[in-house]
Amino acid sequence: MLLLTPALLIIAFLTIYPLVNVVRLSFCEYNYLRGTPRFVGLENYLRLFGDRFFVDGLRNTFLFSISATVAEVGLGLFLAILFHRRFRGRRLLLPLVIFPMMLSTMVVCSIWRSMYHFDYGILNHLLTLIGLGRVKWLFDPDLALWSVVLVDIWQWTPMAFLILLAGLQSIPRELYEAARVDGASGQALFRRVTLPLLKNHLFLALLLRSIDTFKIFDKVYALTGGGPGSATETISFYIYREGFKYFNMGRASAASVVMFLAVAGVSALYIRQVLRRGHA
Amino acid sequence: MLRKLLGRMGFSLLLFVVMTFVLFPIYWMITTSVKVPLDYATRDPAWFPTRITGEHYLSLWEGRAYRYLGNTVLVALSATALALTVGLMAAYALARFRFPAKLDVLFLLWVLLVRMAPPVVMAIPLYTTLRALGLLNTHLGLIIVYQIYVLPYAIWMLLGFVREVPIEVEEAAAIDGASKWRTLVSVILPLVGPGLVATAIFSVIMTWNEFIYALLFLRTPDRFTLPIHIANFITEYEILWGELMAIGFMSSLPILFLSGYVQRHLLKGFAMQLK
Repeated sequence: MLLLTPALLIIAFLTIYPLVNVVRLSFCEYNYLRGTPRFVGLENYLRLFGDRFFVDGLRNTFLFSISATVAEVGLGLFLAILFHRRFRGRRLLLPLVIFPMMLSTMVVCSIWRSMYHFDYGILNHLLTLIGLGRVKWLFDPDLALWSVVLVDIWQWTPMAFLILLAGLQSIPRELYEAARVDGASGQALFRRVTLPLLKNHLFLALLLRSIDTFKIFDKVYALTGGGPGSATETISFYIYREGFKYFNMGRASAASVVMFLAVAGVSALYIRQVLRRGHA
Repeated sequence: MLRKLLGRMGFSLLLFVVMTFVLFPIYWMITTSVKVPLDYATRDPAWFPTRITGEHYLSLWEGRAYRYLGNTVLVALSATALALTVGLMAAYALARFRFPAKLDVLFLLWVLLVRMAPPVVMAIPLYTTLRALGLLNTHLGLIIVYQIYVLPYAIWMLLGFVREVPIEVEEAAAIDGASKWRTLVSVILPLVGPGLVATAIFSVIMTWNEFIYALLFLRTPDRFTLPIHIANFITEYEILWGELMAIGFMSSLPILFLSGYVQRHLLKGFAMQLK
């Protein structure tokens, strides 16, 4: 029991205390540059849902999280199938494929920002080479969010890929042989043998990527700053701006509570799944 | 025969397209870092550097960018050391002792929930706490805050490794008269060695690349970590790409060397999380 104490203390200090505090602050008006917290009841929450930036942030966060997760797991599965075959150069290419996820997000953002640049970016140069017009990757309200999604896909597909490759490798080859003897082929083999046996790994990949993409902050900070307008606003970014730019701690705390509840709700579903599996 | 050949060619083509998409941005970073500005600040950027220059790396040196490297190394290694020490003790306790009222399950669930919570949610109360303790804008404060990321991870990973150590080994040590503490240090520690290395590597990568808390809790440029320095660079100097890519490449090198290792061992971590 003594051995567990330091970990318990650190985790309590870093999580339980802050959580209690954030809930308390969410019912107060508090600008920490002037004065102390003042109790205002539910006002922060009511204001929150009237704030266009928060509502847009909520919508964008879901859009971002769902589209990036689906794309990354889909592409990851495709890549895993590609790399499950034995071919020459495989051992050399495997570590290269996961380079993107090893880079710091800020490095990733600086590369993509230079490639997205309207005048000097290589992507617009490519577009003009094939006779298309230049595109405002990060400054077109209809496109900016998808440009950020693309960067996330580039960086994190390797993660889904690694998980799913491990899944494929854990399926015994004899199973395929047996299915082939029974007359299954190609598509049927994939749908009836591969997919069901890959279920756990698909679940894990979806879980990890959806949790991660839901937190999206640093790419927005470095690529678009939430703009243009509120086109790439996300909840994390909203909390950051309210709390650390406008020092509006009360409202930022209310937004934090809403976000935490959303994540906790989704995680509870996942944890129940995991526990059920544990008992089976 | 022809079909097989075509299939092979299709496969190679697919592989080529995928690898281009994956590697081109990295190629672009490395080449831009040695290009002269005329090669990249133009509507017709050069695919290959027309002239190779070391000017961007030189100006990094003159701007004392190694400060940020030093800060990053310090914070990442200290946070990792702390997490491994505390995490191993906790993992051992969770694996070996019985807890009343499923306290251990509750603790693990909480650890999992913490891992899932967005860091920004904790940012505001942590900010006020750090300020009250005088730890704002210090590396020590950051090292403690990073335990939010690495400690749950370390406990989770090490728990799996400790559970694999057969209990008989410990019973033998106990018969020989070793104390619990002694057993942990001289019997368990060597046996979970590979597990510690794996956990340490992932923890270093996590803290090396961490952004949001470093952004919020460090104020003096002298104390910045690499990601914060790069972020300021991106937002302040729109187009000094040579230098930006040079620092990006320098800060990625130590981590990229680990990628072969990660590719082989990340899966072990996942397998453990699946359990």
